[in-house]
Amino acid sequence: MGHGHNHIEVKQEQFVFSTKAKRFSIILMIVGLVFAGIGIFTLGGLDNSHPPESSNVNHETESLTAQHHTKHEQNSGTLVSQTKENHSIGEESHGNEPNEDFGPRMVFRPSEKPASTHIWANLLIVGYFFLMISLASVMWYTIQYVANSGWSVAIKRVPEAMMTFIPIGFIVLMIALYFGKNEIYHWVHYEHLGLKPGEAGYDKILAGKSGFLNTTMLFAFPTVLVSIYYLLMRKLRSLSVQEDSAAKGDASFFKRGIRFSAVYTVLFGFTMSVLVWFVVMSVDAHWYSTIFGVYNFITHWVTSITIIAFIVAYLKKEGYLGVVSNEHMHDLGKFMFAFTVFWAYLWWSQYLLIWYAQIPEEMSYYQLRFEDYKFNFLLNFLVCFVIPFLGLLMRSAKRNRYVLGIIGSIMILGHYHDVWLMVFPGIFGPGMQFGFLELGIFLLFAGIFIFWVFTALSKRGLIATNHPYIEESVNHDVGV
Amino acid sequence: MAIVDKKLSIRNRNKILVGVWQDEDNLVAAATALTHAGIHIHDIYTPYPVHGLDRIINARRSKLARIAFFFALIGLTLMTTMIWYMSVYDWPMNVGNKPLRFTPSWSPVMFEGTVLCTAFGMSFFFFWRNRLVHGIKNELLDIRQTDDRLIVAIETTADMDEKAILTMMKKNGAIELRSFHKGVQTILK
Repeated sequence: MGHGHNHIEVKQEQFVFSTKAKRFSIILMIVGLVFAGIGIFTLGGLDNSHPPESSNVNHETESLTAQHHTKHEQNSGTLVSQTKENHSIGEESHGNEPNEDFGPRMVFRPSEKPASTHIWANLLIVGYFFLMISLASVMWYTIQYVANSGWSVAIKRVPEAMMTFIPIGFIVLMIALYFGKNEIYHWVHYEHLGLKPGEAGYDKILAGKSGFLNTTMLFAFPTVLVSIYYLLMRKLRSLSVQEDSAAKGDASFFKRGIRFSAVYTVLFGFTMSVLVWFVVMSVDAHWYSTIFGVYNFITHWVTSITIIAFIVAYLKKEGYLGVVSNEHMHDLGKFMFAFTVFWAYLWWSQYLLIWYAQIPEEMSYYQLRFEDYKFNFLLNFLVCFVIPFLGLLMRSAKRNRYVLGIIGSIMILGHYHDVWLMVFPGIFGPGMQFGFLELGIFLLFAGIFIFWVFTALSKRGLIATNHPYIEESVNHDVGV
Repeated sequence: MAIVDKKLSIRNRNKILVGVWQDEDNLVAAATALTHAGIHIHDIYTPYPVHGLDRIINARRSKLARIAFFFALIGLTLMTTMIWYMSVYDWPMNVGNKPLRFTPSWSPVMFEGTVLCTAFGMSFFFFWRNRLVHGIKNELLDIRQTDDRLIVAIETTADMDEKAILTMMKKNGAIELRSFHKGVQTILK
């Protein structure tokens, strides 16, 4: 407490990734694999015996599929055109012959999708989720730097370890994109069928977007962006570890950290939306929402902070981080609470404007989610806002790591479900469930994440003892 | 404006012992020593925040949050009533054939109105409670508490040993000692 004039010597700590924690992460992976296995074997998609409903097959679609049957064998057998009730969305109801204008929209029923689609779609969301969490943890870290924040210095090695997961998340995402793009994105179909934008049968809306929305860009943009993020992350991490062995009171690493952090905050803030457009928004390629990028950011941002709070609470429980007190937990709790509210604000803003404007192209996204996924849609609001809001409202709740643990678990799963709800209805149409496969893949990667991050955490000292603001952090006090 | 928080005015309290400090480290040490000796410190006035003082003198949590909740309820009620009166009761408003009552479009008005009322309510309450509103005379134990001096106020009770308290304050670095009773300041040695 406030004896600013007395110099405090902060002891370095070395985190050891205990066998107990290792066992826990491996059990998570195994449980995840088992769940995923159960999920795969209970998929309806494996059963390809029943024929497509011929009454619903659009003639144009039929001829297109027939034409490219050899190329497109795995999908063509299950291709069904837009069903009658989907027309009521209004997406293609601009004339008597909608398909002449916009081309066939290929809609699959979930039970008719091959199992591979389920796997690629799951890998897509899990890779995307963990990539974005790692990127958000870099963002959190850099914001502490540019804001000259002192309180967070004692826990800064935690996001520093989480950042290292960027390559894993990115590789998983890229695998899902590379192998699953035909099955995930309906806009890839036209390219896959060998059609050129403007040709008969090519969706007109997508033809207008094809300069941006094509497979070259789909791989080039995220690769370039994430590579830059990755290099900046490496630089920040190396500056931080160099600081430990620098001369006492040497602030030069801190100052350089501020500069690189400023670059990252601006760059990531402006460019992460592009990543979101390609990976998530293009699942519903006809639809667009200008708030979607920041909505995705906040989903992962609040999850990332929750995970930071989790790891700090775990380290405290294991007897590490002696200088971290309830005051730090309180501030992490405030972060979780504040951005829960901000999440709800964006969730609601996106919904409200589309609801009010009632433009058919925009409504299609919510039509599907509100009519066919009503339970998931409302559950999403419950677990991402109502429960965390009421649970974290009290001051005592934010200072209690068990309450943070329970509410935080609900939040992490809830936000994963949020990403699931953004992607899956767009790919599979109505009738999907958040089941064993989804949960299994998530647990598998949660286990890998824990293993990877804790290994990174054990590679360097747990406290940035030579940081200029470490004393301020140790003395941190939010008051009565 | 005497009806306003008469009880809170330092004029209506028992004799108050006032100690003046110059250095916040000494002040923290003095506050710790006084509290440990079982003396209840009425309040400490500082021109800038001194970390940890609130815990040392066992200050209660601010009740501002409850006031915020109260004003938020007022704001919410006010705005809901307003928009209901305007767009349902007085002149039913048909916007794009949307439903008339309690639609999502009400939420921005309700939300912003709640925030506005809460912010203004809290600010005014805060100023009123701290006697900074026009019309309430602000009572300072020492005008220098707004500049660079740190003031400790201890309200005496019948069973208090005033001499001992004054000695303790002096010993812990008080540069000046005074007493304050019914609006009269007395400088003590």
